[in-house]
Amino acid sequence: MKPELMLFWTAVSLYGLSTFSYIFGMIAKQDKLFSVGLFSALAGFFPHVAVIAMRWSATGISPFISISESLTLGVFMTMLLFLVFQFSTKKVRPLGVLVMPVSFVLLGWAGTLMKEVAATLAPALQSGWIWVHIVGASAGFASVLIAAGLGLLYLLKERNSGGIYEKLPDLNVIDVMAYRFVSGGFILYSLMMISGCFWSNQVKGNYWGWDPVEVWSLVSWLTYGIYLHLRVTFGWRGKKMAWYALIALIAMIVSYWGIPFTVETFHSGFRIDHN
Amino acid sequence: MSNIDTPSGSEPEQYPIEPRYHPIHKIPRKIYDFFASARLAMALLVIILVCCLTGVTIVRGEQAWNLIFNSLWFNALLVILVVNIACCFFGRIWYRKLTVISFGMILFHVSFVAILLGIVYNSLFYFRGTIRLTEGEVLLSGDPQSYDIIDKGRFFSFSRLKGETSLIRVNTGYKIGGEDKRAAYEVSVGEEDNKKQGVIYITHKLTHDGFDYFNDKEGYSLLVTLADRHGHELYGAYLPLQSIKQKDDSYLYATGHKEGSKVKASVVLFPAPPVKPLFAMQLAYQLSKVKERDGVAAFELYALDNNGMTKDGPPYATGKAAIGGKFAAGEYVLSAKEVRYWVGMMVRYEPGKTIVLTSLWVALAGMIITTTGRMLKSGKK
Repeated sequence: MKPELMLFWTAVSLYGLSTFSYIFGMIAKQDKLFSVGLFSALAGFFPHVAVIAMRWSATGISPFISISESLTLGVFMTMLLFLVFQFSTKKVRPLGVLVMPVSFVLLGWAGTLMKEVAATLAPALQSGWIWVHIVGASAGFASVLIAAGLGLLYLLKERNSGGIYEKLPDLNVIDVMAYRFVSGGFILYSLMMISGCFWSNQVKGNYWGWDPVEVWSLVSWLTYGIYLHLRVTFGWRGKKMAWYALIALIAMIVSYWGIPFTVETFHSGFRIDHN
Repeated sequence: MSNIDTPSGSEPEQYPIEPRYHPIHKIPRKIYDFFASARLAMALLVIILVCCLTGVTIVRGEQAWNLIFNSLWFNALLVILVVNIACCFFGRIWYRKLTVISFGMILFHVSFVAILLGIVYNSLFYFRGTIRLTEGEVLLSGDPQSYDIIDKGRFFSFSRLKGETSLIRVNTGYKIGGEDKRAAYEVSVGEEDNKKQGVIYITHKLTHDGFDYFNDKEGYSLLVTLADRHGHELYGAYLPLQSIKQKDDSYLYATGHKEGSKVKASVVLFPAPPVKPLFAMQLAYQLSKVKERDGVAAFELYALDNNGMTKDGPPYATGKAAIGGKFAAGEYVLSAKEVRYWVGMMVRYEPGKTIVLTSLWVALAGMIITTTGRMLKSGKK
């Protein structure tokens, strides 16, 4: 097995260990298992970063183009934000109960789709806007995934009491934290869409064409725009918003990885017609 | 109106938050109330979301474009949303204290109005055309006949397009800083005293007098000459070839036409009208793997009936000749003398685009300012 693959599957395995630690920690109400989960995630993050670095250094081409690479970057950004949040606040220790299973599954899926690093980069992708675009997309996803994780904890704390639930912050604090992550995700997602418009304008001369990828990104943007509108204008809080954040995450995953790579667009590295 | 599921400690607002400004007279007041409603905003957002979802799941592609995204009702929904945003924003700032949050909200909402204005302005004056040129060819920029496809706003005048457009050369395998741009077109646009020459490739356009030139597609063009048996040249023309993808992912370069999204090989009349055609010809070109712009041309000639239409049945003459070589067919001799590239360039004039693109950044700034303001506010609490 190539060292790159070994490191990749080591990262997946450690994220898997983290996932089970968080889930069993919740079931057994053992917060020591949350520490195992957190440190397993941290341990998995190192080989994860190493894989990205190895692929990048192999050809000098940024390894964020194919669906597998995009998933790897999305999970990388999620783990980065998750670890920074966990080690800086230590308030919401069971947060990984949703973040880790999603990251584990997405990275495992990336592993099944993994190909050799591309030798060349399609001309349409040779644009500086790609950096703003992918950072906005992956960091936006990381934010809303953490918001959904906080939403899940809100719902669990609301229904249960004592033990690990007692150690969680108040419901309204979790609610505000989730709202902040959604706000941040919405801004990053807007950045992704705006940079996509500029990128398209650079290549094709138009900033919006209602192609499936653009529409799916608009679907996700509107989904979180409605979330913020419901909260700010209609005063929705708590349980409804928690459910909303969880359901919206599904739309986000479909729009990121379900669609863009199945049609010929910038994302699949299209080239101009030769006819 | 109710306070829905509001935990203690949150801001004491009456939800949904409605604008405070009201016109004095009854009818404008009703119209204003309708457009400034937060419920209308929510309904529109949800409807647009559902339309978008439908346009990428139940109906797709061209059907989605025709039924939803390009329809009058969908665009009307978008316009109503912007009017709604404008009214909500106006009511929000009317007699209200300017805060960091409200300033960000103003920027965010104003940007949407500016985007709509930019789109409307653009729709009146825009020009989008596809111009097809063979290397060395010069076409008048302001002549509608020079373009394969034209789409323009009501108030666009062709007098804006001055001078000529010419394709000097196509460079394949074009590299910038080690990056392969694949195809780059060396073009020249404008009139004598105001001419601009430059190279365009997929991430680099040429701009001249407000018009942008983008690369779009390219192909091969063969110079085919017709001579009599004594070698006297009677006619010659560049025949642009289509690239037709084969089942094994290779390309067949042949005369052809587009049917919907597919390209099909087909015959062309030769010589081309208005000169009287002598036969219909299917021309194909096989690239040389050794030398660029070299290879073999394959000819298939079909007889014409009295009406000048291609007769059914097999070709009456077939043959091959190297580029520069000769193919004798009856009393005539055909020759594919040279290979050039043809390109399809997009020519765009979009005067409202700058407003739209700038407004996108303003909207983002508004979002960041509002979010920061809200965080500062909740931090103080």
